[in-house]
Amino acid sequence: MTAPRPYALLAEVTYRCPLHCPYCSNPTRLRSDRELTTDEWGRVIREAAGLGVLQIGFSGGEPLTRRDLAELVHGARQARLYTNLITSGVGLDENRAHELRDAGLDSVQLSFQSDHVDLADEIAGAHAHQRKLDAAAIIRAAGISLSLNFVIHRRNIDRLPQIIELTETLSAGRVELANVQFYGWAFLNRAALLPTREQVARAREVATSAKRRLAGKIDIFYVLPDYYETRPKPCLNGWGQRYLTVNPIGDVLPCPTASSAIPDLRFENVRERRLDWIWRESESFNRFRGTEWMPEPCRSCPQKEIDFGGCRCQAALLTGNAANTDPVCTLSPNRASVDAVLDDLNQSSSSSHDWTFRVNPKEDSRRTDIAIEHAQFQ
Amino acid sequence: MIPDHAQPRLAGGVRLEIDGTTGKAVLLFPEGILELNETAQEIVTRCDGHTLNEIVLGLAQEYDVDLEMLAADVRETLADLERRKLVEFA
Repeated sequence: MTAPRPYALLAEVTYRCPLHCPYCSNPTRLRSDRELTTDEWGRVIREAAGLGVLQIGFSGGEPLTRRDLAELVHGARQARLYTNLITSGVGLDENRAHELRDAGLDSVQLSFQSDHVDLADEIAGAHAHQRKLDAAAIIRAAGISLSLNFVIHRRNIDRLPQIIELTETLSAGRVELANVQFYGWAFLNRAALLPTREQVARAREVATSAKRRLAGKIDIFYVLPDYYETRPKPCLNGWGQRYLTVNPIGDVLPCPTASSAIPDLRFENVRERRLDWIWRESESFNRFRGTEWMPEPCRSCPQKEIDFGGCRCQAALLTGNAANTDPVCTLSPNRASVDAVLDDLNQSSSSSHDWTFRVNPKEDSRRTDIAIEHAQFQ
Repeated sequence: MIPDHAQPRLAGGVRLEIDGTTGKAVLLFPEGILELNETAQEIVTRCDGHTLNEIVLGLAQEYDVDLEMLAADVRETLADLERRKLVEFA
């Protein structure tokens, strides 16, 4: 089918991160290719704007570990893009915030692990919570629009009321309460992260009433725990329709988790191809574009233009075939693969599981520490 | 009802741009894009310190429509943008 125009580019500028969250969606195994340079990112950004992209999200890893971040933001503003920084806040001091604002940064999405320092630091695997609180104040003082992001899972879902309170305290205009989605490290740690059915039901009530109470004050986006749903999420609003991701080593992905979840797709690299060719012509972007690729029950389903068959990565991870219907759908012949996971948790008496913390790419971990120290003391 | 002397401004983190692909005006904000029609564009362009009354009078010079109807349209558009938290009033 003909390619539509994309609206948003997710620029994963590094995999390095001072945090070790067990739900990180980054790949659990990384290729050791070097990160794209400042000039290479500059070209990617201009090519994306040429394709029709209007928004860029700088993400990672922790994008602040890149010393050239302000330069990349400046380049994006010159291309007239709306610039978002998606960050842990660690490494953001006043100087850095001003540097980014002056480069034209429009908005910051600051991640938190929980409302309370002990649990938050335990989840992050780092003493990060206080630095995030400081970062929130610095962002607001710099006059940059602030949103908060929380990943919700079994260990923090019961604290949703307190988490929403923290959002009010920090005067954020927008908060994402995103139930963990199982890709990357989160897939590996699923048994420890999946909330129980009762927890999910309570959280839904808390989120619904907070939405009502804070309407007009804080925009609350509650991302549903899709394993407990009966229909799949409209992942990406369809494959290769609106979004593209460029990862730290230059691979161009229809979805940030596709490179690890769908190993049989070959992804193109910006070092070898122009972005517009990759978006329009490449096999990876065209494989699941539109509805032609769909198997039954999607092919004849009246919902197929609503949920687009769900998530290709989830189909690949749970059924071994990315072209299957997302098994979250109760019409999928593979729904049993999701129910088995839910039953395991909800019918067993013990729900305690250890998790594995995310580790950094080996050759880069020393460099991360230095960059963060430098940012902290400059 | 929004008073005549209210001064609408784009909310923090909201930017007005022209979409190079369609040539249409868009509001850009965190995780969102709103395409504006011509009237909304004319209104939003004037959200820079002008009062609501001044915006209505300014538009009246360009469009040959009943002033009261125009004022009602402007109010409705601004109220909608305020609900979406894209416009604030000083």
